[in-house]
Order: sequence, then structure tokens, then C-alpha cells
Amino acid sequence: MTPKVDLDNIQGNVVKAYGRYGLGVARYVFFHVTVPVAGRKFVGDIVPLVTTGAPWTDPARIPSVTTNIGFTYEGLRHLDVPEVTLHGFPETFSMGMKARREIIGDTGPSLYRHWDPIWNNNDDDKQHVHVIVIIDGKEEQDLENRYQEIQRILAANPGVSQLVGHRGAGVDNLPYQPASGLPPSPETLGYPGGKEHFGYSDGISTSYFEGCGEDPILVIGGGKPTGQDPHTAAGWAPLAAGEFVLGHPDEAFEYPEAPGPPLFSRDGSFMVYRKLHQNVGSFHSYLDAEGAKFPEGKEALAAKFAGRWRNGAPLVSFPTEKSANEFIAELAPLQVKVWTRTASPQEQARFAELSLQLVAYDYGDDTSGARCPFGSHARRTNPRSALEFGNAKAFNVPGALSNRRRILRRGLPYGHVEDPTSDDGEHGVVMMIVNADISRQFEFVQQQWINYGNDFGLANDPDPLLGNHGINESRRAGGRMIIEGDKDAGKPPYFCDRMPTLVETRGGDYFFLPSVTCLRMLAMGIVDPT
Amino acid sequence: MANQSGNAYALTMLCPILGGVPPDAPSGMAGQTYTARLRNVLQTLRMNEESPMAQVPNTYLCRFWVLSDVPYQGKPAFLEHLKSDYLVFSSNFHGELEPYLEGMWNALKDGVLAILWHCVGHETVRDAASFIAYVKKCQVTTTFFFNGSTDEPLAEQLKNLYLKQEFSKFAFENQGKSAQELQEAFRGFIQRTNPENLAGPTWKPGAYHLDRADAEPETAAGAASK
Repeated sequence: MTPKVDLDNIQGNVVKAYGRYGLGVARYVFFHVTVPVAGRKFVGDIVPLVTTGAPWTDPARIPSVTTNIGFTYEGLRHLDVPEVTLHGFPETFSMGMKARREIIGDTGPSLYRHWDPIWNNNDDDKQHVHVIVIIDGKEEQDLENRYQEIQRILAANPGVSQLVGHRGAGVDNLPYQPASGLPPSPETLGYPGGKEHFGYSDGISTSYFEGCGEDPILVIGGGKPTGQDPHTAAGWAPLAAGEFVLGHPDEAFEYPEAPGPPLFSRDGSFMVYRKLHQNVGSFHSYLDAEGAKFPEGKEALAAKFAGRWRNGAPLVSFPTEKSANEFIAELAPLQVKVWTRTASPQEQARFAELSLQLVAYDYGDDTSGARCPFGSHARRTNPRSALEFGNAKAFNVPGALSNRRRILRRGLPYGHVEDPTSDDGEHGVVMMIVNADISRQFEFVQQQWINYGNDFGLANDPDPLLGNHGINESRRAGGRMIIEGDKDAGKPPYFCDRMPTLVETRGGDYFFLPSVTCLRMLAMGIVDPT
Repeated sequence: MANQSGNAYALTMLCPILGGVPPDAPSGMAGQTYTARLRNVLQTLRMNEESPMAQVPNTYLCRFWVLSDVPYQGKPAFLEHLKSDYLVFSSNFHGELEPYLEGMWNALKDGVLAILWHCVGHETVRDAASFIAYVKKCQVTTTFFFNGSTDEPLAEQLKNLYLKQEFSKFAFENQGKSAQELQEAFRGFIQRTNPENLAGPTWKPGAYHLDRADAEPETAAGAASK
């Protein structure tokens, strides 16, 4: 039975990756509440601007700017949410991201001492950041207009202050965190997803859940595996809504843990905000040095790290550079025609067919990892049915070990790479992870699948791209990756070691994304758990 | 038979601990009951490579603890209590029970007696044969035995782990060498690691951690594997 997910009540960023609708720039703005009554009025003034999850079926009616809002545990406390409700939140959320550092691997180069000033307030003091307002837009001007609206609301509510202290090029006091998709070069125009600073096409696959209101085709590769042919819709089923939205049954047929009263948490969700700096100098120098030795060459090595070629083609379906390039060479011009609405019906059909190949696969034909290594980023973080290890009858359902570890990925790159040979500078990705249970979903993936490898038979080898390999400066960074060989082709395995840390955390926290109903209750101060 | 899985044996024994305080206990001092004293003995045992049980041949994994009562699981279960405190000894090892216990007695006679001194009937334990008889009297059947490793003798397993670790290092260090260089390096590897010799080089019994000299700086991976 389809769950009753009220898309008009859910915040839009829970169900939509706005970037897919052409909203490619963003500002993340943070606030501190000192006077609860002012904080509640501030929230109330923002509610009319909040974007809901209602489907955008008519392309002409897609808004040019969106607004969403979330709260840390301390933020809710500073709005005078009753103690009983606060105590109903899971400990993970009330502790916050900084205090969870040992679990998620924000240690060494990612320790909070290296974070942007906005996150540092006498180290372990209570959360200083209370509210996040997320503005996504099509153009900078759309963002600026909405930002100014919010500035006016802020000015009308003394008792709420905007927190500055984001690092940007040459400064460490930006009033908000800007982010934007990287513009394609003439060569990469029409490539799938968006580019990030290492040159990978990113954000191609997305999790798909029941009642989310998005295009049903996205269930392919985005839902949970059924054991049928993964290249077709029969191979996939929507994940339970309760994996992402509170107040709905999850994959274990239970409601996710949430505070009372039910109206407070229903249709809400949790979001993890992470500013991740990318060490582009280390990435390029390691890839150049190791790629010169890797028998299949540098681009193939980059693909082995990610599980996709940097042009976006999945390794498991396109095992050679030639096949991947041919695939994208056909897809990209069709994508441009679809964008500019100049594609013929035949071209549209072909484009849809090719787009599916980006996501419609599992690892059933690659149980030895010869094509896509067990340790590659994509295979670790979204194993599909790979944890069956080729034994189709291993569990009652093929995704038994992964269906409860799915997340929704939101966010955009930030900054520009001025010097590709250096790790310095301000550039990376603002990653926002939406899930119903931060501990079971985000933290599990981060701890067990990114910073550890035992589930894949890889001992304690971390994720090559996102793993914490130690501090680079000390020359003791020691990431390892085994790239499986191919017995049939007589190819030996390849060993990468002394890998530098490529991604470092520069800030973030855990946020509650309330429903619109809950936002109104917060604003009115009528949350009553009794 | 639930006590055995292939050549692996799971011993579970429960010895009743003497009630009250020993006659030599100073009056008015805390921590003098047989149970408290025994717990103190167990909690101050050395760990890992330095554990006295590391000297007992073929021990895969073992644990001593004091069982004071059984947990109540709520209605409709009955609220029950044990008649006394018990010393529990649980050990997974290679081979048959009697030779294992004989090995334990030979390696650790004084330690065994120091622990059993707190238990009912310990006076009967004088030599290997009476120790075996005592343990058998206290033995309960191990149910749900899951053996976390293979069932080979411990020395084989330790050598396996050592070789696996060293071979992994070898693979990383010698990648890309010519066939001749590789063969030469492999000869050196075989000479150095001496795969046929179980006595050494190998891991020490009780070691649960990789070669520390080779440990990476603190990373999340390190933390996760602890």
C-alpha cells in the first residue's frame, strides 16, 4: 500500500535534488537565536517562503528560487521547544556532528580545529549554529533577491543574528556559504550530472522512495534491488518512505525514531551538512604518478577510484575507456538538444535509453571486482546488491544489507581551483545528506563503508576518495586501495598505497528539517508533547 | 555435539564460588568476600600477549568472569536467582578437552590454583588428573557454538596470519618489478618468513593487533578496527 506522504507538507529539498531542475547556485545562511520569542517570529516570517515537495510537473512553472530551513538541537532548544520533545530526539542528533567525530572519522586533518570559524566556538561548547536557511536558485540574481528578503526578515527580528565566518578566497568571514555547479567546458557540455573539482561527473544516481512524487523512471538504479534484471524497471522497487521521512513506515516496517507529539515530527527529516575541502593538488599528483604506472593508464585509474569514469559512465557497464567515451559522445549532444528543446522524438527516445544506462546496473556480472573494484567509492557507498557477493539466495531480499543504509544526496560544489597543483585555496563540495536516521544511515556509511572496508572483504582500507587517510603534511598519510585483477584476462591486481587524504571536513552539523506544519507550530510556540 | 565444531572445542564451565569471607579476612574491610577477591584476581590479569592464558597451548579465545545472577526478562518469565555466585570459564581451543586441560595445568598450575581457591571443592585439585576431573564436573554443554576462526592448531593459524600480513606487504613493495626481480625478491621473502617453520617467525599467541611498528597514524580506519 502506498504511504500517505504529504508532499505539500514536506520540505522540497527532501524529495528534490534542485540541481536536476536547473537550480545550480545556492547560498547557505546560518543564524543564532538569543531571544526565543524573536526566533519563533523569525521562523514564522520565513514559513511563507519555504519550498514544499509538491511535484514540479510543468517545466514552465519551476520556481527560479527556493528556500528551506533546518535547525540544530540547540536551535530547537533556543526556540523553547519543550524539554520532553527535545529528549525524544535520538542522541546522535542532540550530540551534533562535532561530538560524533570519532565515529564519523572527522579526526586528524578533518578535526574541528581546522574548520571554518563559524563552526568554532570554544571547541566543545554547545552548538552555536542554530538555524540553517538554504537558498537554491537558477541565477545569482534570484539568490540575491531572496537573500535580501531574508535580510529584511532578520532586521525585523532583533534577537536573531546571522553568523559569519565561512572561508572563501582570501577571507574567512563570509556572511554565507556560496555554492554553485561548475560550468561545463565546451568539451564537457551535456555530460551527465555536474562536475566537481577532481573532474568527476557527480550526483548521477539518487535514491528513490515511495510517494516522493518524482519521475517514476528514477526508481531504476535509485530504488532497492528486487532480484530481477537490474537493467529494467522490474529490477527495482521504491524504498520505504520511512527511510527518509519521519512518521512513515521504514524498510523494517517500523516508524523511525522521532520525538513527540507525532504532528511535530511527521513529514520531517534529518539533514547532515558537511563542507568538504578537496585537496586537488594531492589528487592530481597522486593520479599522475600512479597513473603513469597503472597498466590501463591514468583515466582508468581515476575511474577505478570512483566506480565511474570521470565522464560519468559507470565502470561496470563500460569497462574500457573507449566504450565509456563512445557512450558519452553519443549522450552529451542529445542532452544539449533536450535542454534546448530541439530534440526530435527519436532523439528524445534515444536519450532516455542512454540515460538509463547511467544508473540501470548492479554488480551481478562483476562479482570478482574485475571491472569495478570492491573498494571504489560508488560500489562502497551504494552497493546495490553487491553485498550478496554473487550468491543470489544469500538473503531474503537482495538489498538486505544495504536497503537501510541509503541516503539522499544534496548540495553543490563551492569555490574555484586557482592552482591545480596545490591543496590550498577554498574549493570543495558542500554535501548535504538527507535521511530519517543519522546514526543508522549517514554515520554507518561514513564509519563502516567510507572509513573501513571489512564489509567488502577489504580489511581496514578506506574509500580512496572520501576516506580519512591521515595527515598529508606529515608524509604519513597511508591510504591503500586494491584494484582487483581479471583472472580470465590474465590481468594481475594492482595495489595503490601511500594515498594522501583527498577530502577534508571543514565544517558542518546535524539539522532537523521540519514539516511545514511543524514550522508553523514552532513559530506559534504551540508544540505540546503532553 | 554442541561442544565441538570440527577440531575446535568450546568449553563452558561454571564453578560455584564460596559464600562469605575467608577466615583470614581482616574484619571491617570492604572487598573481602570470596567473590570480590576472585573478581579482583581476574580483573588484574595481564591482557593480550601478556595474558597468562597466552601460555596455554592452542587457546583461540577465552574468558573468565563472575556470574552473580541471571537477568529478569519481565512477565510472563519468573524472577529467578542463582543459589550462589559462579566463576565462569569459557574457552575456544583446538583439539580434545583432556589434552587441552593437561596443557593448561602444565603451563599455568599456580595461576589455576590461585583462581580456583575461591571456589567450592577446590581442595580436590592437586594434579592434572584431578584438575581435569574438577573441570568436567563443572562443565555445562555449550550451545550455539560459533567458531570465529578455522579449526587448525593455533601455531598454524598464527603462522597463517603472519604470512598473510607479510605477503600483503610484499605485494605492495614489489609491484611492477620484472619477472626476474620478482622471483629474486620472492626467494628473499620465503627465506625471511620461512613458511614451513611454525616456531618462527610468527605472531605471538594473544596478539590481536597488527605489527605496531608498521601502524599508520591515527585515522578513522584505525579507530574502527579497534
